[in-house]
Amino acid sequence: MKISVMTDILQANDRIAAVNREIFDKHRNLVINLMSSPGAGKTTLLEKTAEGLRGKLRLGVIAGDIETSLDSERLERYKLPVVQLTTGSPCHLDANMIASALPHLDLSQIDILIVENVGNLVCPAEFKVGEDYKVVMLSVPEGDDKPLKYPLMFRESALLLINKIDLLKYTNFNLEAARRNAVKVNPDLEIIEMSCTAGQGIEPWVAWLVERYQRKIGKRRSA
Amino acid sequence: MHEMAIAKGIIDIAVAAAQKGGAQKITRINVVAGQLRGLVPLQLTYCFSVLAEQTIASNAYLNLEITPVKGRCRNCGETFIVKDYQYVCPQCHSRDVQTVGGTELRVRDIEVE
Repeated sequence: MKISVMTDILQANDRIAAVNREIFDKHRNLVINLMSSPGAGKTTLLEKTAEGLRGKLRLGVIAGDIETSLDSERLERYKLPVVQLTTGSPCHLDANMIASALPHLDLSQIDILIVENVGNLVCPAEFKVGEDYKVVMLSVPEGDDKPLKYPLMFRESALLLINKIDLLKYTNFNLEAARRNAVKVNPDLEIIEMSCTAGQGIEPWVAWLVERYQRKIGKRRSA
Repeated sequence: MHEMAIAKGIIDIAVAAAQKGGAQKITRINVVAGQLRGLVPLQLTYCFSVLAEQTIASNAYLNLEITPVKGRCRNCGETFIVKDYQYVCPQCHSRDVQTVGGTELRVRDIEVE
């Protein structure tokens, strides 16, 4: 006997993500799901973002890491609300893990919440956490072919940050090819080139965040 | 290894549907997975076989139907299969293409006894 099912496999996750999203909307939080390979520079970006947003908007962070709390220790000196999730073995954060972090954050004191996902270009793209936007970071040493190798990640993201462009001269990374490959997979993808350690490209990134925040809150006001 | 979470989702959904239908045993599960999901079939079947032990799906055959990436042109309305991630309309060459297929991930149906 055949039974028709037609049920989405990740529906349990998507349902929790929708609840998270409602909570974020209620608190007027813009939520960014930040994804990249390990070592691409997510934590350094967060440090620079904390500096860049100072006096403009209040930043909060949920940091995912497999075993350690090194990332949150690095962020401590910025006096940000940070929750560290150590996933143990999973290679991604899912909506339920984010839900479990929410009681540890005062969302009313946060404007922009960045979820720093586990370093991995495959799995995190599958799991919504309740974010407004996915942002993918690609660093120069990884190679310009990554958008074609991990298309879902780049297809799902609104913004691509190409980091470590100060290393371009030491590698065969072709910026034009990287842009072409990324736009091939996702024509709507915005791209910002940066070097977090050199402080390059931070301004347009912060401006992007501020603009998206205003777009969301403005929309809610008129609604 | 998102395959593990997906295998768990498949089993939960299949077992719930089978029990609702009063079945004792699941013999086959048909899953539709879009190409953009990047599933590794071998990994998925392995995770499935481990997680299905001790459930009514333990002997079920997991059939995976991979669907191609499909786009629809926002300019002329043409629907086409996107090859090699070339999001370009074959009719009018517009790049304003919306993904309308290739991200599916669902249990379509199950066969039970």
